[in-house]
Amino acid sequence: MSALTLQLQRRRERLGVKGPRAGEWLQLHGVVVPAAANSWTHTADISANDALLVARLGNSEFLLEEGTAGTMLKRITTSLGSQPPGVYPVLREDWAFQLEGAGVHDVLTQVCNVNFAALTLDAQPLVMTLMIGVSVLVIPLRPARDAGERAYRIWCDPTFGPYLGESLGAVVLECGGGYTGDAK
Amino acid sequence: MMHRRAASAGEWLDRTQELKFTFEGREYQGYAGDTISSALAAAGPKLLARSFKYHRARSILSFANHDSNTMFQVDGVPNVRGDVTLLRAGMRVAALNTFGGLAHDRARLLDRLAPFLPVGFYYKAFHSKRLFPRWERLFRRLTGLGAVSLMAERQATPKRYGFCDVLVIGAGPSGLAAALTAAESGAAVCLVDESLKIAGNGAPEALVRGAQSSAAITLCPATVAAGYYADHWVALASPTHLTKMRAKSVVFATGVIEQPAVFRNNDLPGVMLASGAARLLSRYGVAPGIRVVMIAANLEAYLTCIELSARGVAVAAIIELRPVPDGTAPVADCVARGMALVTGHAPYEAIRGSNGCVAGLKVAPFDANQKIDLGATRRFDCDAVLMSVGWAAATQLLLQAGGSTRFSEELQQFVPDSLPPGIFAAGRMNGVYDDARFADGRRAGAQAAAHAGFGTPGNASIARSSRTPSHPFPIVDHPKSKNFVDFDEDLQVKDLENAAQEGFDSSELLKRYSTVGMGPSQGKHSNMNALRILARVRGVGVAQLGLTTARPMYHPVPLKFLAGRSFYPERRTPIDAQHAALNAVWMPAGNWRRPEYYAVAGEDRAQSIDAEVHAVRSAVGLIDVGTLGKIEVYGPDAGQLLDRAYTGRFADLKVGMTRYGLMLDEAGVIIDDGVVARLGPESFYFTTTTGGSATVFRELLRLNALWGLNCALVNVTGHRAAFNFAGPLSRGILQKLTDIDLKEEAFPFLAVRSGNLAGAAVRLLRVGFVGELGYEIHVAAGRSVEVWQALIDAGASAGMRPFGVEAQRVLRLEKGHFIVGQDTDGLTDPLEANAMWAVAMKKPFFVGQRSVRILQARGPRQKLVGIELAEATPLPKECHLIIEQGAIAGRVTSVTRSRALNKSIGLAMLSPALAEIGRELEIRVDGGAMVRARVAAAPFYDPQNLRQKASLAA
Repeated sequence: MSALTLQLQRRRERLGVKGPRAGEWLQLHGVVVPAAANSWTHTADISANDALLVARLGNSEFLLEEGTAGTMLKRITTSLGSQPPGVYPVLREDWAFQLEGAGVHDVLTQVCNVNFAALTLDAQPLVMTLMIGVSVLVIPLRPARDAGERAYRIWCDPTFGPYLGESLGAVVLECGGGYTGDAK
Repeated sequence: MMHRRAASAGEWLDRTQELKFTFEGREYQGYAGDTISSALAAAGPKLLARSFKYHRARSILSFANHDSNTMFQVDGVPNVRGDVTLLRAGMRVAALNTFGGLAHDRARLLDRLAPFLPVGFYYKAFHSKRLFPRWERLFRRLTGLGAVSLMAERQATPKRYGFCDVLVIGAGPSGLAAALTAAESGAAVCLVDESLKIAGNGAPEALVRGAQSSAAITLCPATVAAGYYADHWVALASPTHLTKMRAKSVVFATGVIEQPAVFRNNDLPGVMLASGAARLLSRYGVAPGIRVVMIAANLEAYLTCIELSARGVAVAAIIELRPVPDGTAPVADCVARGMALVTGHAPYEAIRGSNGCVAGLKVAPFDANQKIDLGATRRFDCDAVLMSVGWAAATQLLLQAGGSTRFSEELQQFVPDSLPPGIFAAGRMNGVYDDARFADGRRAGAQAAAHAGFGTPGNASIARSSRTPSHPFPIVDHPKSKNFVDFDEDLQVKDLENAAQEGFDSSELLKRYSTVGMGPSQGKHSNMNALRILARVRGVGVAQLGLTTARPMYHPVPLKFLAGRSFYPERRTPIDAQHAALNAVWMPAGNWRRPEYYAVAGEDRAQSIDAEVHAVRSAVGLIDVGTLGKIEVYGPDAGQLLDRAYTGRFADLKVGMTRYGLMLDEAGVIIDDGVVARLGPESFYFTTTTGGSATVFRELLRLNALWGLNCALVNVTGHRAAFNFAGPLSRGILQKLTDIDLKEEAFPFLAVRSGNLAGAAVRLLRVGFVGELGYEIHVAAGRSVEVWQALIDAGASAGMRPFGVEAQRVLRLEKGHFIVGQDTDGLTDPLEANAMWAVAMKKPFFVGQRSVRILQARGPRQKLVGIELAEATPLPKECHLIIEQGAIAGRVTSVTRSRALNKSIGLAMLSPALAEIGRELEIRVDGGAMVRARVAAAPFYDPQNLRQKASLAA
């Protein structure tokens, strides 16, 4: 079982797309979108430098996140410049964290009233909730080979990022883990 | 006198580990596994406490974590509950609420003053305004439990959330059975009990082991279910923290609470509840005394006597309140063991010995009408009196959960009557006694599991007990009183009778007037007997009175558990570190952290703010306005949405221009304002106040859904940074950094342009909040640091200063701009705020339009005006009142000293009759002094607004 860690995920590019035709438009541009609201998909190993993660926030809004080696987001951004009808860009400057390792649920039960342990990974659910008073998006991830416990990707508004990182990091430290950020 | 017996199987002690501790400064010894109370009971001190009001000598009563008289000060921590706190080596334990120590407590004199301290005496005696402060200081010294140390180290007790399918509260026989049954059905079960160990309270060992070994059952000993909240959310208080447990269904197997008999001196050390004595003996090997007398009114009394006798404790007599006891075999067994059985008798008076503890019990014949025959009293010498006269169902949590109860005359207890979905009751609390508790627990467990989606509920129906386990009136009158009903509050029978006779004759009124049930035990020992007394006074049955309303917490919970961690969500703009590097002095602005001003060596606060203001007026300043709400709206109906939601016209706003936006509610009250920029035919970008972004976004989403318009809203408040770069030199400096043409003809006042600045994509809005030539620069958060730094570097040689919130407040006030929420309140409309210029009444519709028409016809009730004061005048504060002929005529909403104008200026809400330019006003300041001001025209600075519309310098 790997050690409990909270890591700031800076090496990712993000973009939002919303509108009544957003899903259809993304598919036309080669993006696989989740079929169900509040769920997500990804193209490859989620931790790969070019992995593309697509989260469906409700019915008609999408968050796309890609490693810095990826090229899909640049293409999508360029295409959005033509202002397709019913498709609107959403600036996403979120802070994202990955929480994983032994005792991850002990941390989560101290900061959020969602029963994350009961989520089934197969459905690839996305949860929109409050964590320590901050609105967050959370997805559970399958554990890496040696992790044992599942991991969680957590996004928040960038202006709450320092507070969430410091507060969640303090809980992780109390639980015997560590908080790291990777420099951009 | 209590004493330790030889070790026995199943006790909770490790007698190989002796632990030394002190009590009231004297050293004693206990064992590992002892609680503070059990160690004291074994070690010998006769007195453990002084009572709250009369400071009477007290000792253990219930040993069930209910007594206030077994709460102690331990190592500087007040109100430690001795019955459930494990003993540690070196503990320093002291009694609460004494003056000069437990043995020589000076306040014990109050016991002799009891006739002068009747029920409710403080309501009657201390109504003199002159004397009340003296009484208040006296009471604060005399009362209260424990001493709080302000130097104590803070203890972090983080709360946790918990989740289960079935929560079972109570791990006695029925609770264990319920938990096992629910687990066998496939449910995840949480089993909670306030005892230090899950021991079953007399259940078979196999049942306990089954619960301990089941992977589906999480055991939570030493945990109190403190409160029930909506949707099966239960607060669980363990020794270290609070857990907020969410269950799909809940089984209340909370049992019953033994009740005391009420007779004179029933509070003497050595008089205690029989179940407490049994627990002390079985778990800790402590016998209640050498020679015991049992007061009995149920089968449990005899079973306890047999247990005591088997452990070598002499039971001299059993005083049976009833004419005939039930349970033939146990009664016969007791008699066969040599215990004298005295039926149809009641305890009349406990006799105090020379050591202050019980030395005997006087009893008298007791008939069915609770009449005592004093002509036939008898005395039994003893050093311990045990009471086993009845029980009160622990229904408080079930009542909090929305269940209801009714009083059972057969059982002489309240029992559950109706239960909401997902709530189940089992065991003695449900009126099911003896071995039937197991079947009742299995029934409840199966039903709870089925409700949670596991297994089937079955159709078992368990009958309530046919015997009566509680005496209907175990209360004996005495002319000299001291027959206590509430041991926490020192309430005697006559106190409750007098309260009822004074008119406080419902259970709720009786509680509040007499304070019965308001001590640390929260009525667990007293409410039932108090109800019986009230029923007798009123000549009605207990069933007609009902219980007081049950509310959380069921049991006292330390405040540290409720506090948990201190989470204070705080927002920071993306250039927070840059502010820190510039020595920003921080201030909270809502939930944001913002620079109040920037500290410079050699300047005090006022000087720094003045210098920042001067920099903006004479050269250039830079402020972080990233806290403003920022919203984008796209789509064919974007303009129409804004037209309907705001008072101004936006559907016809030219692309590349901005316009002030004022938002009203349906009543015509101003709720927000900002600037709306048109970026394209179907795209707008607008700002809101710092505090209004979430509310405005939510309201616009609601309106958009309501109106079914073809547009989408995006809240980018946190994702974009924004700066205001303002001053006569702003254009020249900015042009060197951007590819956007800033010349007046290309970029006029109120225009918006997109381009690049310092390599980052930006939007520039030419707006004028501070009244100088200036640009709001909006950039993606991730590029904000480099843009800010580029501006700082470029402006350095021109005398630029970053400026903070305080300087901005001065600058905007000099321009007479109001701030929504500071200069407006919950009733201010555009007429009162002089903002009708922003209201396009001829539009077909906007939110609040109809109300504004009505307000126009009525006329304003107040007006927002400018005020000025001579510089030497003491500066009023915001919200100081304007007084006219002795009446309130208005209030100051904003005020500041303006160095640029050499006077003090402000805004005020004023009665319209006084709102003429030049009108003299009087403002009442702190201390009651009056200062003079005058109504003045606003803007105060550059009234023609020339400086923000044109450049005065290259």
